[in-house]
Amino acid sequence: MKETTFLNIIDPVKDKMYRMALRLLTSKEAAEDATQEAILKLWNRKGKIKHYANIEAFAMTVTKNYCLDQLKLKQNNNLRIGHQNYESNSIPLQSEIEVNDEMEWLGRIVATLPEQQKMVFQLRDVEQYEYKEIAKIMEMNETAIRVALSRARKAIRENLIKKHNYGIK
Amino acid sequence: MELSKIERLLKKYDEGNASLAEEKLLRDYFLNEDVPEHLESYRLMFIFSAREAREKFEEKPKVQPARNWYAWTSIAAILIVGLGIFFFNDSSRELNQNDLGTISDEELALQKTKETLNMVSQFMNEGKSDLVYLKEFNKTKNQIIEIDN
Repeated sequence: MKETTFLNIIDPVKDKMYRMALRLLTSKEAAEDATQEAILKLWNRKGKIKHYANIEAFAMTVTKNYCLDQLKLKQNNNLRIGHQNYESNSIPLQSEIEVNDEMEWLGRIVATLPEQQKMVFQLRDVEQYEYKEIAKIMEMNETAIRVALSRARKAIRENLIKKHNYGIK
Repeated sequence: MELSKIERLLKKYDEGNASLAEEKLLRDYFLNEDVPEHLESYRLMFIFSAREAREKFEEKPKVQPARNWYAWTSIAAILIVGLGIFFFNDSSRELNQNDLGTISDEELALQKTKETLNMVSQFMNEGKSDLVYLKEFNKTKNQIIEIDN
Protein backbone atom coordinates (compact mmCIF):
# COMPACT_ATOMS: atom_id res chain seq x y z
CA MET A 1 0.00 0.00 0.00
CA LYS A 2 1.30 3.44 -0.87
CA GLU A 3 1.61 6.27 1.59
CA THR A 4 -0.99 8.42 -0.16
CA THR A 5 -3.52 5.59 -0.31
CA PHE A 6 -3.00 4.98 3.36
CA LEU A 7 -3.40 8.64 4.26
CA ASN A 8 -6.61 8.79 2.24
CA ILE A 9 -8.01 5.90 4.23
CA ILE A 10 -6.96 7.47 7.52
CA ASP A 11 -8.14 10.99 6.70
CA PRO A 12 -11.84 10.60 7.59
CA VAL A 13 -10.97 8.76 10.80
CA LYS A 14 -8.14 10.87 12.15
CA ASP A 15 -10.38 13.52 13.75
CA LYS A 16 -12.34 10.82 15.54
CA MET A 17 -9.13 9.21 16.70
CA TYR A 18 -7.93 12.56 17.98
CA ARG A 19 -11.16 13.28 19.83
CA MET A 20 -11.06 9.84 21.42
CA ALA A 21 -7.48 10.48 22.54
CA LEU A 22 -8.46 13.91 23.82
CA ARG A 23 -11.34 12.44 25.82
CA LEU A 24 -9.01 9.98 27.51
CA LEU A 25 -5.81 12.00 27.86
CA THR A 26 -7.38 15.47 28.31
CA SER A 27 -4.28 17.37 27.22
CA LYS A 28 -4.26 18.46 23.58
CA GLU A 29 -0.54 17.83 23.17
CA ALA A 30 -0.80 14.32 24.58
CA ALA A 31 -3.82 13.63 22.36
CA GLU A 32 -1.97 14.84 19.26
CA ASP A 33 1.01 12.65 20.07
CA ALA A 34 -1.26 9.68 20.72
CA THR A 35 -3.07 10.14 17.41
CA GLN A 36 0.24 10.39 15.57
CA GLU A 37 1.50 7.23 17.27
CA ALA A 38 -1.70 5.35 16.52
CA ILE A 39 -1.49 6.32 12.84
CA LEU A 40 2.13 5.16 12.76
CA LYS A 41 1.10 1.84 14.28
CA LEU A 42 -1.56 1.42 11.61
CA TRP A 43 1.00 2.23 8.92
CA ASN A 44 3.40 -0.37 10.28
CA ARG A 45 0.62 -2.94 10.08
CA LYS A 46 -0.56 -1.81 6.67
CA GLY A 47 0.09 -5.22 5.21
CA LYS A 48 -2.58 -6.70 7.44
CA ILE A 49 -5.03 -3.82 7.06
CA LYS A 50 -6.70 -5.40 4.05
CA HIS A 51 -7.75 -8.33 6.21
CA TYR A 52 -9.63 -6.09 8.61
CA ALA A 53 -13.15 -5.64 7.32
CA ASN A 54 -13.69 -2.39 9.17
CA ILE A 55 -10.57 -0.24 9.14
CA GLU A 56 -12.26 2.59 11.01
CA ALA A 57 -13.18 0.38 13.96
CA PHE A 58 -9.66 -1.06 13.94
CA ALA A 59 -8.12 2.42 13.92
CA MET A 60 -10.29 3.44 16.86
CA THR A 61 -9.34 0.29 18.78
CA VAL A 62 -5.64 0.98 18.21
CA THR A 63 -6.14 4.55 19.44
CA LYS A 64 -8.09 3.40 22.48
CA ASN A 65 -5.49 0.81 23.44
CA TYR A 66 -2.62 3.22 22.96
CA CYS A 67 -4.30 5.87 25.17
CA LEU A 68 -5.09 3.35 27.90
CA ASP A 69 -1.46 2.23 27.85
CA GLN A 70 -0.38 5.83 28.21
CA LEU A 71 -2.70 6.26 31.18
CA LYS A 72 -1.28 3.11 32.73
CA LEU A 73 2.20 4.51 32.37
CA LYS A 74 0.95 7.44 34.45
CA GLN A 75 2.78 9.78 32.14
CA ASN A 76 -0.24 11.99 31.95
CA ASN A 77 -1.15 12.08 35.59
CA ASN A 78 -0.21 15.71 35.92
CA LEU A 79 -2.39 16.62 32.96
CA ARG A 80 -5.54 14.83 33.94
CA ILE A 81 -7.83 17.65 34.95
CA GLY A 82 -9.28 19.37 31.96
CA HIS A 83 -8.13 22.47 30.26
CA GLN A 84 -10.08 22.15 27.07
CA ASN A 85 -10.73 25.30 25.15
CA TYR A 86 -14.21 25.81 23.88
CA GLU A 87 -13.80 28.25 21.06
CA SER A 88 -16.85 30.21 20.10
CA ASN A 89 -16.75 31.58 16.62
CA SER A 90 -19.40 34.27 17.17
CA ILE A 91 -19.31 37.33 19.39
CA PRO A 92 -19.89 36.05 22.91
CA LEU A 93 -23.32 37.14 24.10
CA GLN A 94 -24.33 36.82 27.71
CA SER A 95 -26.21 33.57 26.98
CA GLU A 96 -23.23 32.26 25.01
CA ILE A 97 -20.89 32.92 27.92
CA GLU A 98 -23.25 31.06 30.22
CA VAL A 99 -23.33 28.11 27.85
CA ASN A 100 -19.53 28.10 27.64
CA ASP A 101 -19.45 27.95 31.39
CA GLU A 102 -21.82 25.00 31.39
CA MET A 103 -19.77 23.27 28.72
CA GLU A 104 -16.64 23.56 30.80
CA TRP A 105 -18.54 22.03 33.70
CA LEU A 106 -19.73 19.21 31.51
CA GLY A 107 -16.17 18.60 30.33
CA ARG A 108 -15.08 18.28 33.94
CA ILE A 109 -17.95 15.96 34.79
CA VAL A 110 -17.15 13.69 31.87
CA ALA A 111 -13.47 13.70 32.90
CA THR A 112 -14.42 12.22 36.28
CA LEU A 113 -16.19 9.22 34.71
CA PRO A 114 -14.43 5.84 34.62
CA GLU A 115 -12.40 5.35 31.41
CA GLN A 116 -14.82 2.80 29.98
CA GLN A 117 -17.87 5.05 30.38
CA LYS A 118 -15.94 8.00 29.00
CA MET A 119 -15.10 6.05 25.85
CA VAL A 120 -18.58 4.68 25.33
CA PHE A 121 -20.07 8.16 25.79
CA GLN A 122 -17.55 9.56 23.33
CA LEU A 123 -18.24 6.90 20.72
CA ARG A 124 -22.02 7.05 20.95
CA ASP A 125 -23.00 10.62 21.83
CA VAL A 126 -20.16 12.50 20.16
CA GLU A 127 -19.26 10.24 17.23
CA GLN A 128 -22.66 8.56 16.86
CA TYR A 129 -21.46 5.06 16.17
CA GLU A 130 -23.85 2.09 16.01
CA TYR A 131 -23.77 -0.23 19.02
CA LYS A 132 -22.34 -2.95 16.83
CA GLU A 133 -19.38 -0.77 15.87
CA ILE A 134 -18.81 0.38 19.45
CA ALA A 135 -18.77 -3.24 20.56
CA LYS A 136 -16.09 -3.94 17.96
CA ILE A 137 -13.99 -0.92 18.94
CA MET A 138 -14.27 -1.53 22.66
CA GLU A 139 -13.90 -5.29 22.32
CA MET A 140 -16.95 -5.74 24.56
CA ASN A 141 -20.45 -7.11 23.98
CA GLU A 142 -23.37 -4.87 23.11
CA THR A 143 -25.24 -5.36 26.36
CA ALA A 144 -22.23 -4.25 28.37
CA ILE A 145 -21.92 -1.22 26.09
CA ARG A 146 -25.55 -0.24 26.65
CA VAL A 147 -25.16 -0.57 30.41
CA ALA A 148 -21.98 1.53 30.46
CA LEU A 149 -23.58 4.16 28.25
CA SER A 150 -26.71 4.33 30.38
CA ARG A 151 -24.60 4.77 33.50
CA ALA A 152 -22.49 7.46 31.87
CA ARG A 153 -25.50 9.45 30.66
CA LYS A 154 -27.25 9.24 34.01
CA ALA A 155 -24.10 10.15 35.93
CA ILE A 156 -23.44 13.18 33.75
CA ARG A 157 -26.99 14.43 34.10
CA GLU A 158 -27.15 13.85 37.84
CA ASN A 159 -23.92 15.75 38.35
CA LEU A 160 -25.19 18.57 36.20
CA ILE A 161 -28.46 18.82 38.13
CA LYS A 162 -26.60 18.63 41.44
CA LYS A 163 -24.41 21.51 40.38
CA HIS A 164 -27.42 23.56 39.33
CA ASN A 165 -29.32 22.92 42.52
CA TYR A 166 -26.26 23.80 44.53
CA GLY A 167 -26.40 27.25 43.04
CA ILE A 168 -30.10 27.67 43.75
CA LYS A 169 -30.88 25.92 47.00
CA MET B 1 -42.84 17.25 18.31
CA GLU B 2 -45.09 16.62 21.30
CA LEU B 3 -43.47 16.66 24.68
CA SER B 4 -44.83 13.22 25.58
CA LYS B 5 -43.01 11.67 22.65
CA ILE B 6 -39.80 13.45 23.60
CA GLU B 7 -40.06 12.21 27.14
CA ARG B 8 -40.68 8.69 25.98
CA LEU B 9 -37.59 8.86 23.78
CA LEU B 10 -35.55 10.35 26.60
CA LYS B 11 -36.41 7.38 28.79
CA LYS B 12 -35.10 5.04 26.10
CA TYR B 13 -32.07 7.31 25.69
CA ASP B 14 -31.27 7.09 29.40
CA GLU B 15 -31.46 3.32 29.33
CA GLY B 16 -29.15 3.13 26.32
CA ASN B 17 -31.93 1.59 24.23
CA ALA B 18 -32.60 4.37 21.73
CA SER B 19 -31.52 3.77 18.13
CA LEU B 20 -29.29 6.23 16.29
CA ALA B 21 -32.35 7.55 14.41
CA GLU B 22 -34.21 8.18 17.65
CA GLU B 23 -31.20 9.90 19.13
CA LYS B 24 -31.02 12.09 16.06
CA LEU B 25 -34.64 13.16 16.62
CA LEU B 26 -33.75 14.12 20.15
CA ARG B 27 -30.62 15.96 19.07
CA ASP B 28 -32.51 17.97 16.48
CA TYR B 29 -35.17 18.84 19.00
CA PHE B 30 -32.78 19.93 21.76
CA LEU B 31 -30.44 21.87 19.50
CA ASN B 32 -33.12 23.75 17.60
CA GLU B 33 -36.24 24.21 19.68
CA ASP B 34 -37.28 25.87 22.90
CA VAL B 35 -36.84 23.35 25.65
CA PRO B 36 -38.94 23.32 28.86
CA GLU B 37 -36.91 24.02 31.96
CA HIS B 38 -37.08 20.55 33.50
CA LEU B 39 -35.30 19.17 30.41
CA GLU B 40 -32.54 21.79 30.46
CA SER B 41 -29.90 19.28 31.58
CA TYR B 42 -30.57 17.18 28.47
CA ARG B 43 -30.23 20.25 26.29
CA LEU B 44 -26.81 21.04 27.76
CA MET B 45 -25.69 17.46 27.21
CA PHE B 46 -26.69 17.52 23.56
CA ILE B 47 -24.97 20.86 23.05
CA PHE B 48 -21.86 19.45 24.72
CA SER B 49 -21.78 16.38 22.49
CA ALA B 50 -22.28 18.49 19.37
CA ARG B 51 -19.48 20.85 20.33
CA GLU B 52 -17.09 18.07 21.22
CA ALA B 53 -17.53 16.65 17.73
CA ARG B 54 -16.08 19.86 16.27
CA GLU B 55 -12.58 19.23 17.58
CA LYS B 56 -10.17 18.62 14.71
CA PHE B 57 -6.78 16.96 14.37
CA GLU B 58 -4.82 19.83 12.83
CA GLU B 59 -1.45 18.18 12.30
CA LYS B 60 -0.49 16.41 9.13
CA PRO B 61 -0.25 12.71 9.86
CA LYS B 62 3.37 11.64 9.53
CA VAL B 63 3.95 8.11 8.51
CA GLN B 64 7.63 7.25 8.24
CA PRO B 65 10.14 9.22 10.29
CA ALA B 66 12.19 6.13 11.17
CA ARG B 67 12.52 4.94 7.58
CA ASN B 68 14.19 8.18 6.39
CA TRP B 69 16.82 7.81 9.04
CA TYR B 70 17.68 4.34 7.81
CA ALA B 71 17.84 5.58 4.22
CA TRP B 72 20.33 8.31 5.13
CA THR B 73 22.48 5.93 7.14
CA SER B 74 22.69 3.49 4.26
CA ILE B 75 23.54 6.28 1.82
CA ALA B 76 26.36 7.40 4.13
CA ALA B 77 27.64 3.83 4.46
CA ILE B 78 27.64 3.32 0.69
CA LEU B 79 29.53 6.58 0.21
CA ILE B 80 32.18 5.63 2.75
CA VAL B 81 32.72 2.19 1.23
CA GLY B 82 32.74 3.61 -2.30
CA LEU B 83 35.27 6.33 -1.51
CA GLY B 84 37.40 3.85 0.40
CA ILE B 85 37.61 1.50 -2.57
CA PHE B 86 38.33 4.39 -4.91
CA PHE B 87 41.27 5.72 -2.89
CA PHE B 88 42.68 2.27 -2.28
CA ASN B 89 42.76 1.53 -5.99
CA ASP B 90 44.26 4.90 -6.67
CA SER B 91 47.25 4.54 -4.34
CA SER B 92 48.09 1.02 -5.50
CA ARG B 93 48.14 2.28 -9.07
CA GLU B 94 50.68 4.96 -8.10
CA LEU B 95 52.86 2.31 -6.51
CA ASN B 96 52.85 0.22 -9.68
CA GLN B 97 53.88 3.16 -11.82
CA ASN B 98 56.96 3.83 -9.67
CA ASP B 99 57.96 0.21 -9.90
CA LEU B 100 58.10 0.14 -13.67
CA GLY B 101 61.66 -0.26 -15.05
CA THR B 102 63.19 2.93 -16.37
CA ILE B 103 66.51 1.68 -17.74
CA SER B 104 66.35 0.57 -21.34
CA ASP B 105 70.10 -0.01 -21.99
CA GLU B 106 70.93 -3.64 -21.16
CA GLU B 107 74.61 -2.99 -20.25
CA LEU B 108 73.62 -0.27 -17.90
CA ALA B 109 70.89 -2.39 -16.40
CA LEU B 110 73.38 -5.21 -15.70
CA GLN B 111 75.77 -2.71 -14.17
CA LYS B 112 73.14 -1.25 -11.97
CA THR B 113 71.91 -4.67 -10.86
CA LYS B 114 75.45 -5.70 -9.96
CA GLU B 115 75.93 -2.51 -8.00
CA THR B 116 72.73 -3.09 -6.15
CA LEU B 117 73.53 -6.70 -5.34
CA ASN B 118 77.03 -5.72 -4.20
CA MET B 119 75.60 -3.15 -1.95
CA VAL B 120 73.18 -5.67 -0.50
CA SER B 121 75.93 -8.24 0.18
CA GLN B 122 78.15 -5.54 1.67
CA PHE B 123 75.46 -4.65 4.13
CA MET B 124 74.89 -8.32 4.83
CA ASN B 125 78.58 -8.76 5.67
CA GLU B 126 78.58 -5.72 7.89
CA GLY B 127 75.60 -7.11 9.72
CA LYS B 128 77.24 -10.54 10.00
CA SER B 129 80.41 -9.11 11.54
CA ASP B 130 78.32 -8.06 14.48
CA LEU B 131 77.42 -11.67 15.09
CA VAL B 132 81.06 -12.71 15.84
CA TYR B 133 80.47 -12.77 19.57
CA LEU B 134 78.10 -15.68 19.08
CA LYS B 135 81.21 -17.83 18.81
CA GLU B 136 81.88 -17.04 22.46
CA PHE B 137 78.66 -18.76 23.27
CA ASN B 138 79.72 -21.85 21.43
CA LYS B 139 83.07 -21.94 23.22
CA THR B 140 81.40 -21.77 26.59
CA LYS B 141 78.84 -24.29 25.60
CA ASN B 142 81.52 -26.75 24.52
CA GLN B 143 83.25 -26.37 27.85
CA ILE B 144 80.09 -27.37 29.72
CA ILE B 145 78.64 -30.04 27.50
CA GLU B 146 81.02 -32.70 26.43
CA ILE B 147 79.96 -34.52 23.42
CA ASP B 148 81.14 -38.04 23.37
CA ASN B 149 81.65 -39.67 20.10
